[in-house]
Amino acid sequence: MFNAILALLTAFLVFGTAPCAFSQDLTPKAILVRADEARGNLEGIKWELQIISVESGRKQDRELEVKSRGTEFFAILKAPPKVRGQILLNVDRNMWFASPSIRKPVPVSPRQRLVGGASYGDIASTNYAEDYDAAPLDDELVNGERCYVFELKANKKDVTYDRIKYWVSKERLVGVQAEYFTVSGKKFKSAIFEYEHEIIVNEHRRPFVSKIIIQDSLLEGNITTMVFSEPILGKVPDSDFDLNLLLMRTI
Amino acid sequence: MVKPPLCVLRFALLSVFSLLFSYGGFIMICSAENNGVSSKGGSASKKESGNIRILEIAVLDTREEVKGSDENTREEEPNASSLKTQSDLWKEIGEGFSYTFRTLGYGTFNSPSDSTQNPNNDFLNIPRYTLNLDFRPDISFNFRPLTLVVKPRLDLTWKRWEKGAKEGDTDTDNDWYVNEWLAGLNLYSGLFVYYGRENLQWGPSHFVSPSNPFFPYNNQANPKIELPGMDFARVVWVANSSWTASLIANLGAGRMMFPYGFERTYAAKLDYTGNQKYGSLIGSYQENNRGQLGAYGGWWVSDALLLYTEGSISKGSNALYPQKDPNAPFGIQMIPTKDDSSTPEGLLTVGGSYTLEGGATFSLEYFFNSAGYNDNEAALYDDLREDAASAFYAPEPWHRLSKATLIQTLEPRLRFLRRNYLTLQYVQVEIHDVLNLTLRYTYNVDDSSSMLVPIVEYDIGDYFQVFVVGDQRFGSKDSEFRSLIDYSYMVGVEFTF
Repeated sequence: MFNAILALLTAFLVFGTAPCAFSQDLTPKAILVRADEARGNLEGIKWELQIISVESGRKQDRELEVKSRGTEFFAILKAPPKVRGQILLNVDRNMWFASPSIRKPVPVSPRQRLVGGASYGDIASTNYAEDYDAAPLDDELVNGERCYVFELKANKKDVTYDRIKYWVSKERLVGVQAEYFTVSGKKFKSAIFEYEHEIIVNEHRRPFVSKIIIQDSLLEGNITTMVFSEPILGKVPDSDFDLNLLLMRTI
Repeated sequence: MVKPPLCVLRFALLSVFSLLFSYGGFIMICSAENNGVSSKGGSASKKESGNIRILEIAVLDTREEVKGSDENTREEEPNASSLKTQSDLWKEIGEGFSYTFRTLGYGTFNSPSDSTQNPNNDFLNIPRYTLNLDFRPDISFNFRPLTLVVKPRLDLTWKRWEKGAKEGDTDTDNDWYVNEWLAGLNLYSGLFVYYGRENLQWGPSHFVSPSNPFFPYNNQANPKIELPGMDFARVVWVANSSWTASLIANLGAGRMMFPYGFERTYAAKLDYTGNQKYGSLIGSYQENNRGQLGAYGGWWVSDALLLYTEGSISKGSNALYPQKDPNAPFGIQMIPTKDDSSTPEGLLTVGGSYTLEGGATFSLEYFFNSAGYNDNEAALYDDLREDAASAFYAPEPWHRLSKATLIQTLEPRLRFLRRNYLTLQYVQVEIHDVLNLTLRYTYNVDDSSSMLVPIVEYDIGDYFQVFVVGDQRFGSKDSEFRSLIDYSYMVGVEFTF
């Protein structure tokens, strides 16, 4: 204990007025950065995504192959056969949809529905740290895990959700639960996040998203589950996100 | 200034690091917050990319471990390693193949309009009923820098006529062809070359693509009918995530029909993608014709609202205009009066779309066609068509002259006859996960004719989809949109595996 105090004092004397952020609590933004990183906000990642939607008792599946980099992504639907070859491309907050039947890529809104409660925008990694202003609320327990709770208010017009209530695990620094609200303030869906995968970032093992369960707030029986395969990390070239090369890949 | 003794500094640094390491996760945050700082070991450097923090990462992937163990084995057992390499190669080749096999069976009910363009349906012979069975396999092969795509087609058609010279006739046809094929090579980093038969489409407009010098129309009016491919050679250079340049040469007509003959067209295209906006500039030249400058751009005002524009401009136009000529057989002649004109002629689309929180998207587009007919020209055009239609059943040479004139009035080298159009579109997909709905209404402001295109797709299971694609025309008998049909409805089933 004495050594620790001595070390702190010495460091203060040596480094003078240098910021000592570690002596303070994490800022909401720093927490959101960590939570974003656990949901794919990386240099490059490739994974397979299965979306299972149960709506009015009817089950629908979608399987996608996704390459993403930051919040950009290229997603091609692989199954079921009726949607095979459909493509979603998101570059710099511009989203396009292309299908083998309509050869022309069409600009689409991230609000447009993919399947069940999942919108096109839900495939993208989150960038809550940049896109939202976070107001901290009182900590809460979620499944026995103590969580920071934030009221996120969009600071940009081009984000999919205007307001989000977001629970971030204090221990793991990952988002574990979220509620999404319309501009009018009505809750329209909620989500639970699971992190069974791990990646190494800066030589540290980090939990990484493995499942998102989206619950429709208006129709309680409607549940959409997004299951992510083990991520393959690596650089994704610019050409993978190029619109001119898109149509060669709609098979 | 008195320097602190070295041992004190060393002690202080060691103490600080020991404290920081006890807050392992915290180090990461501090590292990420400081621009350009690399943490020790060099493997945890950090880059900035716009607003997004990107951390270089080490991969926790068991495959890497497997690879490592393979490398060890390679040193000890070269033959086993060679077999393994061959096996990996075949696996890679196998994984490079992909296919989709679509089969469409559909019936179409047409009502040919009783217009001067198609007197008693004897000029165009539009069948009343058609039944089609189309086999559409799409096969692709990707192996490292190589891309090969082929889309062979087999169309079986049965037709029945109930109006015109072929009334009561039926006919069957089978057509084998390759609608699209492509060979592509990634030469170097972002540099790609392609040659093949393609259907190149771009631009944000729903109604028509004014910036596209190759394909005047897109198949959004009926996504179940494929547009014929044309032969292209392309070089695409992806400079970075924002800029791409393409050189495109349209070297052959492919399967496209050109009533006045095919001419080669060359284009250079420059694309930009920026934060919430995109744009493209297309310069093109058609042999024995003229140059054209096209452009399109879009801006996402919010995640729901998109504003876009698309257009093209050229010096003069090769469109045919009706001109009074006392020496012409019908007193009026179709002449390319603006062929040598230096007046700029253009096409322009301005539009916007708004997506509701539930996913429904509404779009509104205005399309301006400066080369289109004004009221006087339209009146002359109508007169010419009427005279030509009247002479259609007259003896030769009048019948031949009538047909030649009706070909010109059908294809006057204008994308649309008039100048001002409005399109309103509603799209909602995945309604209850099974229903896609599109309603598109286009109104010709100049002659008040219009067309309504409803597209309904309903999924049955994972393989089947039933669909209805309609085309209902409104307006006076000889207006633009009612010149050919009163309505057309296609009902069918699509099977995909």
